[in-house]
Amino acid sequence: MVHMRSYARGIAAVIATTSLALATGCSTGGPSGGSDKTRGATITVALGSEPPPKASLAAFTKKTGIKVKWVTLDWDSLQTKISAAASSKTFFADATDVDWSRVGQLGKLGWFQPLNSKLKTKAMGKDMPQLTSFTSGGNVVGIPYDASFMVTTVNKKLFGEAGIRRMPTTLADYTKDLQAIKQKGVVKYPLNIPFAAAEGLSTYWYQTTGAMGGTILDGKGKPQFESPSSPGYQAAQWMVDALKKGLVPPGNINVSDSQGQQTLMAKGQVASTFSDYSGNVGTLYDVPDSSSVVHQVAYLTTPGASGTGPNLSNPDGIGIPTEAKYPAAAAKFIEWFTSARNQVDFAGVNGPAKVLKNYNMPSRVSALAVMTAKGKLVDGQQLTLMLKHSSRPVFPEGAPSWYPEFSRSVYTNLHAAASGSKSVADAVKAMADSANSLSSGS
Amino acid sequence: MTGTTDLRPTVRDATPPSSDRRRRRGPDLLPYLLVTPLAVFIIGLALVPAGLALVQSFYRVQELNPPVRFAGLDNFRRLFSDDAVLASMGNTMLYVLFGVALSTLLGIVMAMTLRHPFRGRSVLIAIMVLPWALPGVVEGIVWTGIWDSNSGLLNSVLSSLHLISDYHVFLGNNRLLTILAIELVQVWQITPLSTLLILAALQNVPGDLHEAAQLDGCSPWASFRRVTLPLIRPGITIAMVQALIQTLNVFDQPYVLNGSASTGTSLTMQTYFISFQNLDFGEGYALSLVLTITTLVISLGIVKLVYRPVEF
Repeated sequence: MVHMRSYARGIAAVIATTSLALATGCSTGGPSGGSDKTRGATITVALGSEPPPKASLAAFTKKTGIKVKWVTLDWDSLQTKISAAASSKTFFADATDVDWSRVGQLGKLGWFQPLNSKLKTKAMGKDMPQLTSFTSGGNVVGIPYDASFMVTTVNKKLFGEAGIRRMPTTLADYTKDLQAIKQKGVVKYPLNIPFAAAEGLSTYWYQTTGAMGGTILDGKGKPQFESPSSPGYQAAQWMVDALKKGLVPPGNINVSDSQGQQTLMAKGQVASTFSDYSGNVGTLYDVPDSSSVVHQVAYLTTPGASGTGPNLSNPDGIGIPTEAKYPAAAAKFIEWFTSARNQVDFAGVNGPAKVLKNYNMPSRVSALAVMTAKGKLVDGQQLTLMLKHSSRPVFPEGAPSWYPEFSRSVYTNLHAAASGSKSVADAVKAMADSANSLSSGS
Repeated sequence: MTGTTDLRPTVRDATPPSSDRRRRRGPDLLPYLLVTPLAVFIIGLALVPAGLALVQSFYRVQELNPPVRFAGLDNFRRLFSDDAVLASMGNTMLYVLFGVALSTLLGIVMAMTLRHPFRGRSVLIAIMVLPWALPGVVEGIVWTGIWDSNSGLLNSVLSSLHLISDYHVFLGNNRLLTILAIELVQVWQITPLSTLLILAALQNVPGDLHEAAQLDGCSPWASFRRVTLPLIRPGITIAMVQALIQTLNVFDQPYVLNGSASTGTSLTMQTYFISFQNLDFGEGYALSLVLTITTLVISLGIVKLVYRPVEF
């Protein structure tokens, strides 16, 4: 009995010691600065997408000696974990998502390592027009791996049924054409605007503002949309009017951007989305499994106030958190992951075995050129031209550090204006007040 | 026989009294050591963070505006002057009202239905528990297909029954309708647990009490009201408190179904926005503290009002 007790005590002591050690380990911050080791290092990569094919990762490991542990997380969880880990100075991943909208915040907080000295960013910039969206205070904090910019898409068949043969080039013509489609009963509601209070509503407004020739904020973060004659104000009015006048389905008050694309545009229930995702024609509308409008939808050069408007960028990037364990190995991975050769593979040019699931569109112009030449990108030439010449950052001087709070003010107020609980004037005023207050630091 | 009788006192004498044994070997540490792992984890992962949050709620902890400095009640002042937070407080109270009332009522009805054994009862209980096991986000996505105003199942059914001519907008326009629609989804999730808790309480009620009531001429309703209900009050109390905690902390369902629209934002959503989007952790801690105190106060109120000790 005495032996049994001693034995039990021993076990209890071991358990207690282990749990104390574990608890202590849990509360200790990870290494800061990281190791220069590459060969033999195992890096953690956390992104919102599925991992590249096993064979691709194996080839990377064989070439560099770096093993990759891939963690897939949804966008919201990813952003929360990045914030939680960085603010508590603990390790989360060696390479992870850098969203264009958080570049200012991440740059100011120093949560991501500057990549200028780790990668040939100048050379990359020549092939990646959207790299400017990831620059904060002269430092590149992320490399775009997936090009994304806002484009106008139209269902040519539905436009044709309304007798429209020449596609609109100005916003006024575009609006008239939508009205004609409605009046002729081709579809009850011709336009898709996602009015759910979410990020997609903010980006829709930015793109519409850009098309009307305006900007959202100046270099100091002051709002440029307060005056009723400003493009930003008129863009908000145009969007809300479109809903009130029956161009947009009333149910869109609670429809998100991707939901609208999948359930309305891809099903032929609407004839156009003014601010759609680049690449959607090839990856959604022309895919028979998810679409009933195969080969009917095309990209349209952005109809602006008096001619072609810009295509605002909202790309996804990948960067190295400050608390990364193996920053040098992570840099090698990013170089490999964003290389033109891999982007071509990920986009499916060299067979389905090399495809990165849900990969939208390469961020490199050279990769787009290969895809277009091989006929693997629907409307490739047009998309390449857009990426090279008309894609612009939403905030030319970088997204402000307080962007997430401002964006929430934008989409909640625009949603309120659309639902009728606020006038457009009150909504715009609330958005401007928010920008003024945040930019002044109060 | 004699020998045995003689031996007993000898054996007793050979064993020292337990108090002497303790004195000689010191205090028995085994029980403490056995609970140490659990205690360490509870203290390390719950009490210490809670204590830190409590302290930090009186500090300005803004990642974008360092350094950390004492702010007194400023975080609380800012909370109570923020229209978005005030609106979400109102919304959350409505979630609590709808959620606790509906899940408790449905829980009682379902527990009464499942009280007596019948063929397929265990299968029914297994099916009933399914929504409880599903993550809130998944439920939100599933119910999006039902509430959707452009192509949702509910609109489609109502339209095909000629009950509506145009599709209705259930979420986003009208605050009360939005909250009710969202809360129904959460009620669908939390009612199974309420049912099981009330069912467990029902199983403890002796059958002869009902028989006695019946012999005394009680109708089934009177028997339920005067015999069953008073005896299952402890179970109902626990069911109500768990429903209160779930509804006060509602996040997934409104976030998935209604985004960040003011018609449906909850207090936990505001905590997330303030902490992880605005990176103002001090104010986030303060709001968490408000939520914790609210949970404790209302829980105590429920216990005081509903709970009665029962002895069989």
